[in-house]
Amino acid sequence: MAQPVPAAPSVPAPEAPAAEVTLWRRIVRHRMLYLMFLPVAVYYIVFRYWPIGLAWIVAFKDLKLGMGVLDSAWVGLDNFRVMFEDPEIVNVLRNTVEISLLRIVVGFFPPIILAIMFHDLSSGRLKKWLQSAVYIPHFFSWVIIFGIVFAFFSTGTGFVNNVLEAMGLPRVEFFLSEGWFRPILIGSALWKEIGWSTIIYLAALSTIDAQLYEAARIDGAGPIRRIFAVTLPGILSVVTFVLCLSLGNILFAGGEQILLFYNKAVLDTADVIETWVYREGLSRLQFSVGTAVGLFQSLIGMVVILAGNTLAKRYTGRGIW
Amino acid sequence: MKSNSAGERAYQIAIHLIVLLVAASAVFPLLYVIGMSLTTKSEMIARDYFVIVPHAPTLEAYKRIMSSSVIWHSFVVSVLRSTVGPLLTLTLTAIGAYVLAQRTLPGRGIFLFFILATILFNGGLIPTYLVVKQTGLIDSFWSMILPIMVDSFGLLVIKIFIENLPDGLTESARIDGAGDWSMLWRIVLPLAAPALAAIGLFNLVAHWNSWFDALLYLNDKSMYPLQMVLKNMLTIDSVSGDSMNAMLKTSQSISTETLKMAAVVVGIIPVLCVYPFLQKHFAKGMYMGSVKG
Repeated sequence: MAQPVPAAPSVPAPEAPAAEVTLWRRIVRHRMLYLMFLPVAVYYIVFRYWPIGLAWIVAFKDLKLGMGVLDSAWVGLDNFRVMFEDPEIVNVLRNTVEISLLRIVVGFFPPIILAIMFHDLSSGRLKKWLQSAVYIPHFFSWVIIFGIVFAFFSTGTGFVNNVLEAMGLPRVEFFLSEGWFRPILIGSALWKEIGWSTIIYLAALSTIDAQLYEAARIDGAGPIRRIFAVTLPGILSVVTFVLCLSLGNILFAGGEQILLFYNKAVLDTADVIETWVYREGLSRLQFSVGTAVGLFQSLIGMVVILAGNTLAKRYTGRGIW
Repeated sequence: MKSNSAGERAYQIAIHLIVLLVAASAVFPLLYVIGMSLTTKSEMIARDYFVIVPHAPTLEAYKRIMSSSVIWHSFVVSVLRSTVGPLLTLTLTAIGAYVLAQRTLPGRGIFLFFILATILFNGGLIPTYLVVKQTGLIDSFWSMILPIMVDSFGLLVIKIFIENLPDGLTESARIDGAGDWSMLWRIVLPLAAPALAAIGLFNLVAHWNSWFDALLYLNDKSMYPLQMVLKNMLTIDSVSGDSMNAMLKTSQSISTETLKMAAVVVGIIPVLCVYPFLQKHFAKGMYMGSVKG
């Protein structure tokens, strides 16, 4: 470093000194990588960005069946106006927020409690078996879940109704009752996901230093005291992180499940954005309003996730990226 | 960690009981469904449809289902989409992740941005439907494969995995003059195999469980995957109860409920077969599932 700079070289510099490697040359050198990436790029352009482009066009046009996207007329913000004025759609928006909030509230604490209990179980082998059992329902399709829920809650032959009758109580038409629809929906989703949702907490729990428990024990802390003094502080950042992210689903109420569970009798409480867009937007050919509603949902979803991520980063130092 | 104080023991007993209860509630519905699927119609009526363990089990419902060409056909469609789908996904994911893991690649940041953006934002149901229509995939088997061929999250997970491989391995191969393809095939793939296997298995289950895309893109019922046929057998205001009626017509010995429950079991069994393999990859599944919600 400290050596004197040598005299200017008398030999002409070689063709391309490092500094002169232009962007173009680097691109050419990596041409095989671009070629390899081509199929992935084509996939993203056709199946991810083409729909996004279409969404921004169709939402501001009046697309009718048999008419091309290009031929149909521009209508400005009409589709969005319809969305906020049509009482049916306004009801759908309200249902969506209510159901997804209920899902977040009901589904939030049980996995945390279950994870803490798994963590504290003293018997290792039994613990593995029990964990395997509670994860299973996560891997069933919603169709299968519906079949199981049907076996338990159908009016004529369902297990729960059989028990009610055996207890001398009247049978309940769970699937046709507006009051029962959401409890059944959210309860069955909790049943499906409670086990699987513990995994992220179990990973966090396994990083808590065992010495902290030992120290708490020596200080005379009982098992419940230890949960509040050691366990919860140890997973608080993950808990906050999960909460912030789950808020991103505020306009995604689980349409695939509802589509299977709902029927005309409960439409008023059950209809959400996804089911409405499928039924009215696609099947009844209201393409443009359906697209506008979908675009609104996606935009709000993105804003909320970004906000949630910012919150998560601020309070826990951990984000999605 | 052993302790003998009364409080500790009471706590252990309590959490053992609660966790056992939760685990039982996860498993009992399956056993109940299996029990129902084995019960004869006469026993159902005699016991007022309140059967947990059938006294005289019958395989009649499974025979009905096995003899249905609709079910067999949809089973084959499901097996096909659950093999072709993951294979294509793994191929594109491995290649894409390898390319994106090359830190010197010009434009890498732009590619990553556009891929990450699709996790946050998508065109929605109707625009996606329009693209499937415009690409001529309606009523094609490929409508269930191509639109979901790459999962952005899986791609990023594998990309990070490849980036974290020890540099020495790839460098020495570079010095030996290995090109990108042989580098990917000989060095990176064998090392990334466990991570790819995890993605492939979760993708397989996703394909097996999927039915909504078939509902959207297929008018031709002969293309339906198993979950779609099960859905039509199970849902309340079922439009196509015809296949169900056909299955019941020739048999007076079982009830509709028994047939439905046997259908549920048929849909579950393949998942249970894959489950032990899935278990090995739960840690990675958490990594993916935790963020995907």
